[in-house]
Amino acid sequence: MELLAQLLANTLQIGAVYVLFALGLTLIFGVMKVVNFAHGEFFSLAALIVAASMPLLPAAFPSWLNYLVALAAAIAAVAVLGAIIYRIGFERYLRDLVGSFILSVGLILLLQGIMTEIFTASPRPVDAIVTGNVTVLGARITAQRLLIMALALLFTGLLYVVLQRTRLGKALRAASEDREAAMLQGIRYRTISLYGWLIGVSMAGLAGALMAPLSPIQPAIGADYLIKAFIIIIVGGLGSIPGAIVGGLLVAAIESVCGFYFDLTIATIFMFVLVMAFLLVRPQGLMGHVER
Amino acid sequence: MKRAAVVGGALALMLGATASRAQDTIIFGVSVPLSGAAASWGIGTDWAAQQAAKDINAAGGIKMGGKSYKVEVRSVDNKYTAGDGAKTAETLISRDKVKIFTQSVGTAPVKAIQSLTERENVLLFTSAWGRTVKGKDFPLTFTIINTPDEVLKPIYSTVKQRHAQAKTVVLLNPNDASGQDTAKDSRRFWEELGIKVVGSHFFERSTTEFQPIATKIAADKSDILDMSATPPANAGSILKELSVLGWKGVKVIGAGTGADVLVRTAGADADGTYMGLAADFDGPSATPKQRELNAGAKKALNESLNVIHMGGYDGVMAAKAGIEAAGAIDAKKIAEVLPKTIFDISYGKTTFGSKDIYGTPQQMLIPIVVTQIQGGKAVEVVRILPDELKKRLGQ
Repeated sequence: MELLAQLLANTLQIGAVYVLFALGLTLIFGVMKVVNFAHGEFFSLAALIVAASMPLLPAAFPSWLNYLVALAAAIAAVAVLGAIIYRIGFERYLRDLVGSFILSVGLILLLQGIMTEIFTASPRPVDAIVTGNVTVLGARITAQRLLIMALALLFTGLLYVVLQRTRLGKALRAASEDREAAMLQGIRYRTISLYGWLIGVSMAGLAGALMAPLSPIQPAIGADYLIKAFIIIIVGGLGSIPGAIVGGLLVAAIESVCGFYFDLTIATIFMFVLVMAFLLVRPQGLMGHVER
Repeated sequence: MKRAAVVGGALALMLGATASRAQDTIIFGVSVPLSGAAASWGIGTDWAAQQAAKDINAAGGIKMGGKSYKVEVRSVDNKYTAGDGAKTAETLISRDKVKIFTQSVGTAPVKAIQSLTERENVLLFTSAWGRTVKGKDFPLTFTIINTPDEVLKPIYSTVKQRHAQAKTVVLLNPNDASGQDTAKDSRRFWEELGIKVVGSHFFERSTTEFQPIATKIAADKSDILDMSATPPANAGSILKELSVLGWKGVKVIGAGTGADVLVRTAGADADGTYMGLAADFDGPSATPKQRELNAGAKKALNESLNVIHMGGYDGVMAAKAGIEAAGAIDAKKIAEVLPKTIFDISYGKTTFGSKDIYGTPQQMLIPIVVTQIQGGKAVEVVRILPDELKKRLGQ
């Protein structure tokens, strides 16, 4: 029972960040119909900003306050960079899978190089924001992980409400489902695409900023999350928000359970086998739509 | 006509300049990861190699055939992969006409590089940890840091002596050539000491979430955890997760470099960890040169040097000694004279040896230092100067 609870706790801890990261990627694909291979760089940038700025903030202030300031600064920086990249590059390649692929792969090299130059390649750990451990049903978890999970849940819920209840959300969903019909309803596609892109990269930044206190950060850290995010959105369904949530938790469960009973390499192989099976049997994923 | 003459003159000048530069400069190659997760090893190594070139040039260069040659070091990114390792070998050998690689990092890329260097009569210095990179099949390859056969026995013996009640060990390594090779060596040495290996696990180098592996290690209930070739940042994350799970065993990183990264990542959970390659280049046992290099690296790169970085400096010094002793830049001649030559590196005087272990004298003889993290600092607990080196130096 204790072991089961521990594996479940591991799944939720890992899944919380995966879901946030994959939500951004799937939102961008849904609205812009581009696959942003540089999504991991926005994750890395935010995490690096948090890791680099935390030691510079006043030690007299509580750690959680410094962390919130660093988190806000990181997301602001990611949003500004995202806006610049959109205007210079992605705006010209909306709904162009090949063009956007080449652009985003180039961006990976450019952003990685710049980040390595500025932040160095050495791993940067972040001091604990809150200390102490919590035991739930025999599963041991740090208070910090619990806080990060709560924040991830809060932001995922917030995104869900924005997409379901606000005019912006409805416009994003409309553009995602049928661009022409959305435009006929007066939705300005380019503007909505920009908003979708900014929300998407900010989600990547948020995931990175939340991850920073949990793992040493270096410029290449986003690559692992990008691979997982592709698995998540293929399994969950390209462009589907609920699919990203279900897919994120499923991938985390595979990593946690397979990682324990076999090893992490087998877990990764299993994930790829799952992706192949979905592409062959149900290419629209668990919750995606069939495009005709 | 006039324009053609000017262009022709300029070309002649350029060619002349290139030719004279080629005559006066020896180019050394360095194949290290400069991007990706292992980039910190490569960036520090490149920096240390450039310092060695500066030191040699400031002292008048390399003397060969009555003439002095300047040294230039060119570092190329092998991304810690076999594919890119092969590309770096191709680039440095074909484009830059490099005859000596003064440092190469990563067992997988080094194995790829060897397939070219051994065939093309190019000398290869490496910090590749795997035993399979040297021996009679690779006569032109020399290791310039301590490897499992030098390090693991002393560190494991120290652990056994200090924790006599420990009877079982679990191994954890990255899932690549370095990790696989190390796991075999670790198992052999632990079993020789009578410690039972109850588990041997692997993880991908890109892993960022270590709870599953920590849960698995905790479930193994071993007395000792040996994270052999696990990089310090990953080891720190694992120690943090294990602490949450209440695991309290003896912590060992056989090939552990970078004590400061381990401490920064794991905090107090790093305390008590034994490390095999975490020599403190700021400490009292470091040589003045090592202290100077470490201070320079802290200023330039904002981080301390580790054993692999220091190999960047020592490889260039070994190449200089080899060329001067052989009187030529010929890999076979240098490989022949190097084990007979005593020369200076950052640790002091050294040579190549360990023929009794590898069948050929291809291992640089340098001090073996076992450290333990105590109060957030790496404290030296055992320092062994190889017997062979003592004998050669007449000590």
